[in-house]
Amino acid sequence: MLLFRSEAALERWLVKNNYARGATLTVAQVWELAQLWYHNRLALDYHGRSIEQVQAIFQQLGLTASFWRTEQT
Amino acid sequence: MNDDLIWHVRAFIYQHFVETARPPTVDETATQFGLTREQATTIYAELGQRHAIFLEPGTHHIRMANPFSAIPTTFRVHAHGKAYWANCAWDSFGIPAALHTDAMIEATCAENQQPITLRVENGQVTCGAEHIHFLVPFRRWYDDLIFT
Repeated sequence: MLLFRSEAALERWLVKNNYARGATLTVAQVWELAQLWYHNRLALDYHGRSIEQVQAIFQQLGLTASFWRTEQT
Repeated sequence: MNDDLIWHVRAFIYQHFVETARPPTVDETATQFGLTREQATTIYAELGQRHAIFLEPGTHHIRMANPFSAIPTTFRVHAHGKAYWANCAWDSFGIPAALHTDAMIEATCAENQQPITLRVENGQVTCGAEHIHFLVPFRRWYDDLIFT
């Protein structure tokens, strides 16, 4: 996941590298995602998460596009 | 392999990252738990299989214990009185999230390599018009984690 100073910088990078656009989030959105994803990462009882738990995190942030789906559908 | 031991090793790896900004070697882990080198290597491989850590391909060296990176990247995170490397833009925020602390993140714009500084202060981010781009759909993240 790469950081871009602006939407225009991202667009130039996609064109230069001939990449299709994936998903773009603001820094504030990624901070929210990071907190949900990593808040318990250091705990002894963190043993990973299920597909359903991953999907629940994405849904909590409104990330419901096919890009964020956890299985091929 | 004892599952309880495996998860204690995972926790030790993370605590080592937090305290030293680098992962423990298999020898350090073996010493910590009174294991042989082969036993510690087997546990590292098992944690890799479970996506709990990511080993440098073909080795037993830890490359990632997300959000921490064992090698330098373009994401330097100053937090907890230390400086850590993060694997990507998301993980650069993952470090203060995991540590429950403020952070100053030194990064670069992927398009022109110009420096960008981001901050987490009192649980809030301060930023401008920056964007974070996810190139690979979630269902393919683990196909090639380094590229992702």
